[in-house]
Amino acid sequence: MGSPDSRRRATSGLSRRRFVQTLGAGVVLGVAAPTLLAPVGSAAPASNAAAAAPGTLVIGLVAEPTSLDPGQLTDINSMKLLGAMYDTLVRFKPDSFDLAPSLATSWDISSDLMLYTFKLRPGVKFHDGTDFSADAVKFTYDRLLDPNGPYADTGPFPFAPGYYGSIAETIVVDPLTVQFRLNRQDASLINAFTLNTGRIVSPQAVKTSRKNFAQNPVGTGPFKFVSWDHNVRITLTANPDYWDGAPALSQLIFRPLVDEQTRITEFLSGGVDVIFDVPPDNIGQVKGNPDAVFLEQPGPHVWWVTLNVQKPPFDNVLVRRAVNYAVNKDALTQDILKGTGTPSVGPIPPAIGWAYTDQVTQYNYDPDRAQELLKQSGVLMPINVTFWVTESGSGMQSPKTMGTAIQADLAAIGVNAQIQTFEWGAFLNKYGSGLADEASMAELSWMFDSGDPAHMLPNNLYGPACSPKGFNGGCYQNSNVDLLMNAALKINEREQRGAVYRQIQQIVADDAPWIFVDNQIQNAATSTRVSGLKLHPSFYMTYLNQLSAS
Amino acid sequence: MPALNPIKMQRYLLQRLVLVVLVLLGVSVLIFVVTRLTPGDPARVMLGPRATEQQLEQLRVAYGLDQPVYVQYVSWLSHIAHGDLGESIQLHRPVANEVAERFRATLILAIAAGVVAFGLGITFGVVAAVRANSVLDHALMSVALLGISLPPFWIGLIFIITFSLLLRWLPATGMLSPTGGGGLDDVLPHLVLPTISLAVVPLAVIARLTRANMLEVLNQLYVRTARAKGLPPLAVVVRHAFRNALVGTVTLLGLEAGWLLAGTVYIETVFAWPGLGSMLVNAILQRDYPLVQGGVLLVATTYVLINLATDALYVYLDPRLRHA
Repeated sequence: MGSPDSRRRATSGLSRRRFVQTLGAGVVLGVAAPTLLAPVGSAAPASNAAAAAPGTLVIGLVAEPTSLDPGQLTDINSMKLLGAMYDTLVRFKPDSFDLAPSLATSWDISSDLMLYTFKLRPGVKFHDGTDFSADAVKFTYDRLLDPNGPYADTGPFPFAPGYYGSIAETIVVDPLTVQFRLNRQDASLINAFTLNTGRIVSPQAVKTSRKNFAQNPVGTGPFKFVSWDHNVRITLTANPDYWDGAPALSQLIFRPLVDEQTRITEFLSGGVDVIFDVPPDNIGQVKGNPDAVFLEQPGPHVWWVTLNVQKPPFDNVLVRRAVNYAVNKDALTQDILKGTGTPSVGPIPPAIGWAYTDQVTQYNYDPDRAQELLKQSGVLMPINVTFWVTESGSGMQSPKTMGTAIQADLAAIGVNAQIQTFEWGAFLNKYGSGLADEASMAELSWMFDSGDPAHMLPNNLYGPACSPKGFNGGCYQNSNVDLLMNAALKINEREQRGAVYRQIQQIVADDAPWIFVDNQIQNAATSTRVSGLKLHPSFYMTYLNQLSAS
Repeated sequence: MPALNPIKMQRYLLQRLVLVVLVLLGVSVLIFVVTRLTPGDPARVMLGPRATEQQLEQLRVAYGLDQPVYVQYVSWLSHIAHGDLGESIQLHRPVANEVAERFRATLILAIAAGVVAFGLGITFGVVAAVRANSVLDHALMSVALLGISLPPFWIGLIFIITFSLLLRWLPATGMLSPTGGGGLDDVLPHLVLPTISLAVVPLAVIARLTRANMLEVLNQLYVRTARAKGLPPLAVVVRHAFRNALVGTVTLLGLEAGWLLAGTVYIETVFAWPGLGSMLVNAILQRDYPLVQGGVLLVATTYVLINLATDALYVYLDPRLRHA
């Protein structure tokens, strides 16, 4: 303790230093102030209209879109906007995975599956006024696939080789006919033409904007791009000349609302008209709101737990079946997911009707049966395993609570799963390197947005795709399954292909390389003034010209 | 006032500038090392489970992530020297644009909250001191205690429920209305709730400290003298007591400026405010190295510059330093 005098001096010295520091802060902030006072957004008219303006619809996104160039995109959230601005060659019918014409009016696939020919829609124009033709199709796919092409620097286009790698050459036959010559038989290519990655872009706009095309998108879709105030909103306006009929809306606005609760709040307060993926715990709140409409649609989604078949105890098929019987999927989908999922029985979701079957070994909740199988297996009890769980992640639903519930079910039959939790970025890395010696179980999910199992199974259940080569993290290998997967690509007839995939499901369900858990039901909430919004099983936003708002 | 010694002053500032550059270099190395040590791969996060090893490799090459870390670092540094912060992996746009827009939003919120916190905090403190031990004093100080005790994000949520959901007076989230013009009239209604949420804690701290300082000053002999010579009570409080008490309060400004810039992270999240904090959190989750590097570098530079300006002014204001 100093004398009162010295204490006063000390205090006043401190005061001055702080005072000056403050002034310093003031100077820095002061310099910044003039720029702050400039208008924040770039939208032109200063109408302060609320979200509820007639003809205008505001859609809440879960994050800021990463780009508006279809080729560049890899995330589902950003892809939500693409259907508004661009078209594909082929699309799905409004409520199924059946193909329907879009920019292509008809198509022919050669019997050897090596040549695809498309007749194109006449009289279609891009938003920049240029004509849509076979040249635009060729430009689009050449840009995606040629790493040394003149527009490769407008990429990278990460998904293109996976979906369109079988295209050897795109040939312009005449202005309204285009052909794809393949380098291998690929029956799944026709469905790949429905995907966001392959949406047709305006060659003129890419040539003019180059890298900036991602911020200034030009397509043929029902809405034209107007402006992008980063992290605030993206504004689109109706394309009155849309080939499939002018949109009922005049304006479509997308807003990024990253936090889940913020999104719900903003919806309930009327700041957005549509939100997707209402969290299970908020569904009651939305359903009970007289100003809200709750929509549901089963989708092409699977959620499972990978079992590491390379090492004990899950190298034993009886143990794998036992854990499948032990998990109470009904309780999981009802109590944790609040009905936003249905129990699954195999690796292909029921939404892909042409390739799906439930005529497989089904593992309905039966802990006694599980105990019995464990006894039969001769494995020493109790079993101790490591279980990788992610904190969040695209399509992962409620991964932590689901992981904990599965852990509890397994504990009941004497399987002690030690949970290791990872943040999504780290989790993907871990899983991508394989479970190998580090873990015996890991959560994962997948979306079949192309409506074709050929775009998924070869990554997850194909022997040669054993991680780290592919995403077969548990390293499941069955040569019959591998042969069938290859065969399915070489069959033209969809019914026959479907039969092959049904066979694959039966083998896989028997082998039980995963714990089959659930298929997500996509949901959305809209305000009552919205009509014409139908959720498509692909989880894409389609037929947006039919959307309207009173 | 004695004239400054310009040569000494220049030499001092030069030394400080060299130090600033060194500090920022150190920061740049640190960001680089920490981002690279974090488990996770930008290519994998971007492509998700679908990607093959070959696709991942292509993407790593496209962004130069296949290069040794020191090569990446040197390349990044030389680009910065040319005023180029690189391109965001996730957002496909220049880091400089993204960071500048986000920083502006953060500053708007921080400055608004600063004005509220100091304006109201000082007023409350002075009133409470002048009416010490009255009902008003106890009421104000109880509110201040509550303000310090409640977590700001919770306050934010309660505000949203009350003023946006129930009363519908103010917009719940965002910085602009969906169809608004983006001018001040558009921003202001959106600014109210996050500003108050962010200002509550510093406001409470300032009010309590101002009250304590005022009470101390009001007991000083010169205040008694001022009263004794018959000055009106208001003049005594404002001209004699308040000005001296303020010096103590002002010490908080530097500290609170830090809080106001850093504390916005969760307020930004609750209110979907498009600021730097929420950008950084997202960039880290996505392993968007260039964006993380650019964002952290900007924050570091801001702090270093505030300190530099502080030190320069300190020399100017403190005669002892000036002649040392």
